[in-house]
Amino acid sequence: MTTAAPEPKGNMGQPVPRYDAVAKVTGRATYASDTPLANPAYAFLVTSAIAKGRIDGFDLADARRVRGVIEIFTHENAPKLKESKLFSNGGYASTTIQPLKSADIAHDGQIIAVVVADSYEAAREAAYRVKVNYAAAMPAATFDSPGATAAAAKGQNGQFKEDPRVGDFARAFDEAEVKLTAAYETPTQHHNPMELFATSCAWTGDDLVIYEPSQYVHGLKNGVAGQLGIDADKVRVVNPYVGGAFGSKGSMTPRTAIIAGIARRLNRPVKLVPTRDQGFTIATYRAETRHEIQLGASRDGRLLALRHEGMEVSSRPDPYCVGGTKTTTRLYACANVDSLVSIVRADRNTPGFMRSPPEVPYLFALESAMDELAVKLAMDPIELRRINDTANEPIDGKPYTSRSLMACFDAGARAFGWSQRSPAPGSMSDGDWLVGYGCAATCYPTQMAPAAARVRLQRDGRTRVEIAGHEIGNGAYTVIAQAAAERLGVPLEKVTVHIGDSDLPPAPVAGGSNSTASTCSAVMMVCDKVRQRLFRALLPNEGLADRAKETVGIGQTPATQAARSGQPLDRDKAFEALGADVVEDYGEWKPDGAPLDSFHAMHQGQMRMVGGDKMKGAIAYAFGAEFVEVRVNRFTHEIRAPRLVGAFAAGRIMNPRTARSQLMGGLIWGMSSALLESTEIDARTARYVNDNFADYLVPVNADVTDVKVIMLPEQDHRINPAGVKGLGELANVGTNAAVCNALYHATGQRIRKLPARLENIEI
Amino acid sequence: MPDKSGSRHHGFDRRTFMAGAAGSALAPLTARAAAQDARSPVVQDPVLPVDVTLRVNGEDRHLRIDARTTVLDALREHLGLTGSKKGCDHGQCGACTVLIGDRRVVSCLTLALSAEGREITTIEGLASGERLHPMQQAFIDQDAFQCGYCTPGQIMSAVACVKEGHAGSEADIREYMSGNICRCAAYPNIVAAVKQAAPEIMRG
Repeated sequence: MTTAAPEPKGNMGQPVPRYDAVAKVTGRATYASDTPLANPAYAFLVTSAIAKGRIDGFDLADARRVRGVIEIFTHENAPKLKESKLFSNGGYASTTIQPLKSADIAHDGQIIAVVVADSYEAAREAAYRVKVNYAAAMPAATFDSPGATAAAAKGQNGQFKEDPRVGDFARAFDEAEVKLTAAYETPTQHHNPMELFATSCAWTGDDLVIYEPSQYVHGLKNGVAGQLGIDADKVRVVNPYVGGAFGSKGSMTPRTAIIAGIARRLNRPVKLVPTRDQGFTIATYRAETRHEIQLGASRDGRLLALRHEGMEVSSRPDPYCVGGTKTTTRLYACANVDSLVSIVRADRNTPGFMRSPPEVPYLFALESAMDELAVKLAMDPIELRRINDTANEPIDGKPYTSRSLMACFDAGARAFGWSQRSPAPGSMSDGDWLVGYGCAATCYPTQMAPAAARVRLQRDGRTRVEIAGHEIGNGAYTVIAQAAAERLGVPLEKVTVHIGDSDLPPAPVAGGSNSTASTCSAVMMVCDKVRQRLFRALLPNEGLADRAKETVGIGQTPATQAARSGQPLDRDKAFEALGADVVEDYGEWKPDGAPLDSFHAMHQGQMRMVGGDKMKGAIAYAFGAEFVEVRVNRFTHEIRAPRLVGAFAAGRIMNPRTARSQLMGGLIWGMSSALLESTEIDARTARYVNDNFADYLVPVNADVTDVKVIMLPEQDHRINPAGVKGLGELANVGTNAAVCNALYHATGQRIRKLPARLENIEI
Repeated sequence: MPDKSGSRHHGFDRRTFMAGAAGSALAPLTARAAAQDARSPVVQDPVLPVDVTLRVNGEDRHLRIDARTTVLDALREHLGLTGSKKGCDHGQCGACTVLIGDRRVVSCLTLALSAEGREITTIEGLASGERLHPMQQAFIDQDAFQCGYCTPGQIMSAVACVKEGHAGSEADIREYMSGNICRCAAYPNIVAAVKQAAPEIMRG
């Protein structure tokens, strides 16, 4: 065992190397834009230079003169597309702003023309020669901009049903011995996956194949079919590898149907590789948020009153919000809770999910406030969390299916050396560097959605698993192969996994950290069906009564019992008895509590995700505790975060190697969010200023020195058959607050607005 | 930056290209132009295709391409070598890193014409048949990637980092691997992989 491949503890799976490792280190892994096309035309986007107004006209003469240009599509001649509803409103789209439909411009960087040429170079040159005459209007950029409007999220966003509240917050806060009121802000952030938002579309007759990095191939397939007005069976989305996504590739963006329509018009495959800066406006982002937290506590640290008000920016037409109060109002024991989420509409592209969408901004606020309260109480911040730890969430009183928060704090504190911390701010230093230790809780809801799989087992053990899951770096290939190998009792190297193709049985979006739980539960179920057929061949004396009982759900046949138990199968004997060499089965799995229309919706690219706070009679979250050491140079104010330690419990860990990597990457994401990342918006023009990798800061290797990941074994039988909570979005939640809490400890200065940068340090 | 050693023999590098743009010293380019009199002093329409021979992974590959084609686009769009990735097209992310000679180069900022006659090594040329290069194996052993998109660039950069003598300490590796962004943030594992592979690579 190495650092990269930790020893499995408890119920964890083996830390086997990634299924797709050789493909990825040899350059053989084919990402969307790597797929060869026969005689492709190259598309290049022209995007709006204003955020609000109209296009008065184009001058395309110069552009058309570029040798190799085939056609230039604007709203005047673009293929007509049907509208698609927002994903949260029963549709598929990340935005209802449909470019190339009219002369209207709704946001900076909106697609306003597509140049298609025989070569990439010609398309690019012609795109730069497109002249646009705008009638510009004054846009509202963000909070406080003239023209921006605010309203409660409840009632306008279908997924935000309720502002959680319980008890009498106003009175309890009024009467509390210790009070804290504090405001926090988080910035606009862009996912910036390494892979650009590429799309290639190729038609064969009436059949369309789309090569596009997608976290939801069945959603994209159905969404594009709807926009083109064709049968979804005519559309196939292929992407065996996604070059990072982090939420940005979860719902359909407008570019896909546009490129598909153009390819149909030209009767030629069309390849689009947008630029990095275009990615800032043709896809989604994490919107900026504002928060006010009020905490009331007794002198001994018990929370008596908690209020969380959040405000989030969205676009003019779309009521997108993340609404993290569902989590922050339930994290600690507190009898009197109030909350409110509002959406502020501005002239911006529609935001969307970005890694841990609700929890990142909302827990930054809550976990910063908890640290501030601990200071007011002169109490260790870990002890404050211990005093308010709870087995039941306070809003509806439902029990957590499992909750290892304090075990994580204890394990993390030991590994970090928390006991070495001297509590007074500014009391620790090393030469010119002020040293600060900070910590925060992290959590993420356990979510699952219906999924289908097909499994084929051959007599020699070769196994083929088909499920339209997504490899976004999450280790999907690997954990699916492990689940099948384990369940069927075949060697791992005999298993082949086919994912990332909408012709395969549908799986949900690879988002909300539901992927491993959903796909592995479905694959395990279908493996059991395969086992059942083999056991049935071995145990032929299955009574009719047994079968009848099983059909009506009041009993199990011996074959079913054997299949679902861990009973080993003599494969050779079973195949002999069956008189066949191959068994193949298909099955559809849905989690407890999924609605009746789940499977129907699944086939239409609509997922019915359940879990988190929406379970009946329980609430399911993964938890962790994060510790950060920061160093602030007392003269230059340079900030470094040389040590990050996270301890996590997330149900069954399928593969400690891939899990550790995801958690480690998450910790670094969190550090980056706290110290580096911010999309700057020009308030006058509502345009993004730093839309490239030189100016939008993300960590490089030199920014990261020591990251330690601790995984605690945890068994949870109530969540799903795989026992998996999901951890892709667990680690980057608490880090924001942990970093700022450490900065307070180092300097005595409380940072309530992210990111914390040297120019914000006033010591 | 492209390795300029030997460029005089091939008659085309960035400097002569810049000078050519000002109206002189473009003879080598026009001499290869598809539909151009070699003796003509007229500056060629840059859109006209140009013949170029690139030596990639030990093989000469003849291409007729737009003179503005980068090494990256030549590899990906014209030679079917899609291992090198486009992450920014601005030299900011390192996903397109290849070796030209022994030197790591961001292929998105290198014109294909300027690489003529040089030895270009891409991720596809690193393994010996099915036997992985030690750096590839180390990336697997240390789980030095997640989504894998930056990985070809990281590995090419890592090989050069070792050969440059910049893998002597973890701090050095971190510094000299900082031209390659990994958004999944596999950085500590990348450092471990470079450390693992370095001795074997230095032994040759």
